[in-house]
Amino acid sequence: MSTTNPFYLIVIGAAAWLVYAAHRRPGPQLRSFRIFIWFGAIAMAARTALVLLNPVLHIAITTSSVVVALLEGARIAVLLCVFGTFNSVSDPYDLLRLSPRRLYEPVLAAGLALSLAPRTIATVAEVREAQRVRGANAARWRALPALVVPVLETGMEEAVALAESMDARGHGRGRRTSYRVSSWDLGSGTMVIASLLVLGTIAWSAATGRGDLSVAMSPLQWPGVSPVLVTASAAIAIPAFLPGREEGR
Amino acid sequence: MKPWLFVIANVVGVFVFAWPFIVPAVAPHIDAPWILGVLMLCLGALLFAELERAGLGPKIVALIAVLGSAMVALRLPGYVAGFSAMFIVVLVAGNSFGPGFGFLLGAVGTFASALFVGGLGPWLPFQMIAVGWVGAGAGIVPRPSSWPRRIAILAAYGFVAAFLFGAVINLYFWPFLAGSSRLGWHAGAGGLVNLRHYAAFYAVTSLGWDAIGAIGNVVLVLLLARPLLGAFDRAARRMNLDVR
Amino acid sequence: MTDAVTFERVTFAYPGAGDAVLSDVSFEVPEGSFVLVAGATGAGKSTLLRAMNGLVPHFSGGRFRGVVRVGGTDTRAVAPRELSHEVAFVPQDPGASFVVDRVEDELAYAMENLAFDRNRMRRRIEETLDLLDLAHLRDRSVRTISGGERQRVAIAAALTPGPRLLLLDEPTSQLDPQGAENVLAALQRLVHDLGMTVLIAEHRLERVAGFVDLALGIAAGNVTTGSPQDVLERVGLGPPVARLGRLLEWKPLPLTVRDARRHAADSPPDLSPPTKRHRSFRGGELMAARLLRAGYGPKVVLHGIDLEIARGESVVLVGRNGAGKTTLLRCMAGLHPPLSGRVLFETEPPRPGTDVALCPQRPESVLFRETVQEEITTTLEWKQRTGDPAELIAYFGLPAAILQVHPRDLSAGQRQLIAIAAVAATGARVLALDEPSRGLDAESKRHLVSFLERYVSDDRAVIVATHDVELAALIAHRVVMLAGGEIVAQGSPEGVLGDSPVFAPQTARVFGPRWLTPDQVAEAVAR
Repeated sequence: MSTTNPFYLIVIGAAAWLVYAAHRRPGPQLRSFRIFIWFGAIAMAARTALVLLNPVLHIAITTSSVVVALLEGARIAVLLCVFGTFNSVSDPYDLLRLSPRRLYEPVLAAGLALSLAPRTIATVAEVREAQRVRGANAARWRALPALVVPVLETGMEEAVALAESMDARGHGRGRRTSYRVSSWDLGSGTMVIASLLVLGTIAWSAATGRGDLSVAMSPLQWPGVSPVLVTASAAIAIPAFLPGREEGR
Repeated sequence: MKPWLFVIANVVGVFVFAWPFIVPAVAPHIDAPWILGVLMLCLGALLFAELERAGLGPKIVALIAVLGSAMVALRLPGYVAGFSAMFIVVLVAGNSFGPGFGFLLGAVGTFASALFVGGLGPWLPFQMIAVGWVGAGAGIVPRPSSWPRRIAILAAYGFVAAFLFGAVINLYFWPFLAGSSRLGWHAGAGGLVNLRHYAAFYAVTSLGWDAIGAIGNVVLVLLLARPLLGAFDRAARRMNLDVR
Repeated sequence: MTDAVTFERVTFAYPGAGDAVLSDVSFEVPEGSFVLVAGATGAGKSTLLRAMNGLVPHFSGGRFRGVVRVGGTDTRAVAPRELSHEVAFVPQDPGASFVVDRVEDELAYAMENLAFDRNRMRRRIEETLDLLDLAHLRDRSVRTISGGERQRVAIAAALTPGPRLLLLDEPTSQLDPQGAENVLAALQRLVHDLGMTVLIAEHRLERVAGFVDLALGIAAGNVTTGSPQDVLERVGLGPPVARLGRLLEWKPLPLTVRDARRHAADSPPDLSPPTKRHRSFRGGELMAARLLRAGYGPKVVLHGIDLEIARGESVVLVGRNGAGKTTLLRCMAGLHPPLSGRVLFETEPPRPGTDVALCPQRPESVLFRETVQEEITTTLEWKQRTGDPAELIAYFGLPAAILQVHPRDLSAGQRQLIAIAAVAATGARVLALDEPSRGLDAESKRHLVSFLERYVSDDRAVIVATHDVELAALIAHRVVMLAGGEIVAQGSPEGVLGDSPVFAPQTARVFGPRWLTPDQVAEAVAR
């Protein structure tokens, strides 16, 4: 994604929002979209602010330098927006299942960490409570060991139990099969074809120089808009119109 | 992990961050994202080819999983400026179980926490490597047998590591702030010029932020390292584990 | 009949430990038996189980001599993972043993490691889901199901590869009486229908004694085998009915309520009426909950609870898993804000740690210091009290030597007692305990009971939530039964527990609701 053409950026941003609105999932990832938009706004402001510092360095500010900075900031913001959508709509366990078989062990560890996390967070709350009813009233930073040590001690004991259980259940015997196959349905097929088309179109435009992907800055002028590219950008919104998968959890 | 592989993986890792100082001098016209993508792929392939062959075994997987979940829990309250409680786990575990484990824990724990809070994005591989380095470094620093000295060294390392972490982690987006200012990256300029620009950029934007992280690390290490090192040693004993 | 497990002169000590946990142990377990592994807390029950799938010594390290054969294979010769098709192991805390997030995937995990093909996996999973009645949970996360369901899922995940030997470490410790009954009945079916060999380590003998046909008793490093009656006699343990049998000289020793009732019908003992343990609480009300409603998010757990606690009283909360016992304790301790209604200590809301102290279900949440001594002095310092840790732990029957031990190196039962001691050191007027008898053997339970009696005699009060009806019968002045977040019954233990089909202690089932504990029978016999 290396366009600074504001028209395409707007289309892509809108498409990302559509997908987010159609498929957002409950859970801690949900916040991620809003946070990413904030970060995007901050990045845009920061990029522009860098230009405004130019007089300090005895460089003149021109309209074109401000506009270019603004558009480059917008590019980062839209990128963040797309990733925010991705985070809000995807199931982390599905993502882990897509990882290559060679990475089985690190991915298993990451998946386990992810699934243990809510319990660990609950343990933190539990421990804080346990120390409170036991009369803990020390200054907050001095009470920190009372909070963190039991959490990690309990975690280490669980690690021993977990390792034992994995060992006893044949982890690391060698060849292993897998029970769940990620199945390709109509939706994912459509998705893949669409994204290939989008990528292809953008690469083609970049290679042939058509469609004004980047904005000309000297002299500054409105970029042209290619209907092909607008369609391609809008295609990012296709997942919004696909049915969501049944969620078991 | 084989030592030579570890070395190569880290050399690639260094290049991932340091290319803005190297590439402009060599090939000024290549677009930044492409370089990064290729580098990340090399790194991943290298690291994990060996992981699969040797196998981590249930003990390491279980330890990384549990400590990774603690990192998620401690990262959740968020950063207070440049400080996150998550680092205490990486520091102490790296110190206790060695650099290889520290690196893996930093990388996997960061990955898991990104999945948990929805922080996936192009920055994630950079964060994974940088936190991994913090963990690896904690395993490399000397570990004298006297407790106070061992903890003092770890605290000092935690202080320095916070600044290094900040300096390294800003590098991934810095080239995207390219512009005409003297704080930004210049595609055509030499490595030294860019290094000077980056130093200025770091001093202006990140230094104060990271100082808070550094102080936070020191406080946490002084308060918690002793009991946590004890806990990790005991777990290693019960697992009959000798990772170092 | 062939043997599922044989031990030949096995001696084992953990790394760094001086004393051997098992010393020169020889025995065999015939195939198709349902075996109880009995012993006091810390006697080595878990070690014995782990020696049967190679975790001891492969995982644990340590000094190991002798030969253990499982289905003819020497466990020293192969790693535990190579035995995983033969032996399945369900550890004490099933929550910690889950590797994958979804129930169905968890059931597949062991088979994936054994490289089963997909069709076989599917068939085995469906069969096992039906066997343990888990089909409705298949898509749930293993982290969000209830304790009883977790236990069944752990057993199911152990069964899918079709092992010949199943090892379970305290499988009912987190279950209510009915849930425990269901799990044990399912296991018995496996033994009877499939000829599987099942070994089960358990403290709550009253739950399992009726199911097993063989026992391994472990004491001081020695293991004895034989009929459950003989073995329990020899290691000096047994469910309450066994104690009744000893008191009344019934032969053979009854292990189930049914046997004991037969003895009681054949030779009715001449018992004078039981002594009542109630006291009148003239000191009046110490604390109370009034029209208390509480919950988590949109889920309301307690629906209008009215409960008074008098000075000098000990109140026991019973009810099945999820009835609201823990939430009520947390509200009484001032930890959980009520949705409506109020909790009052004397005339003010209770101050946690000052008016009411609470020892939570997982004692590990309390412990964070390096030694038992520091653990107790920390509480004393926080509360600016003085006291002698050695004296305090002596009330629990613990030797002063453990003051210098790291709390996490203690056995589960000792750890539980230390956590209670560390909480009790606050000197709070009300002591609340959540499931305090987990991992306690009969001996430590007696110490806990006498400590609680001493505690309330000082015009203080105790609230205990428990599944352990025998403990409830021992300590309760009043029993409060919760169901669905409401109090469905409260009153004397005789009245509430005595004739309950689920919660009646064994003595009451034999002699009727007026008799709650073997102690009462002992007194009546002595008179």
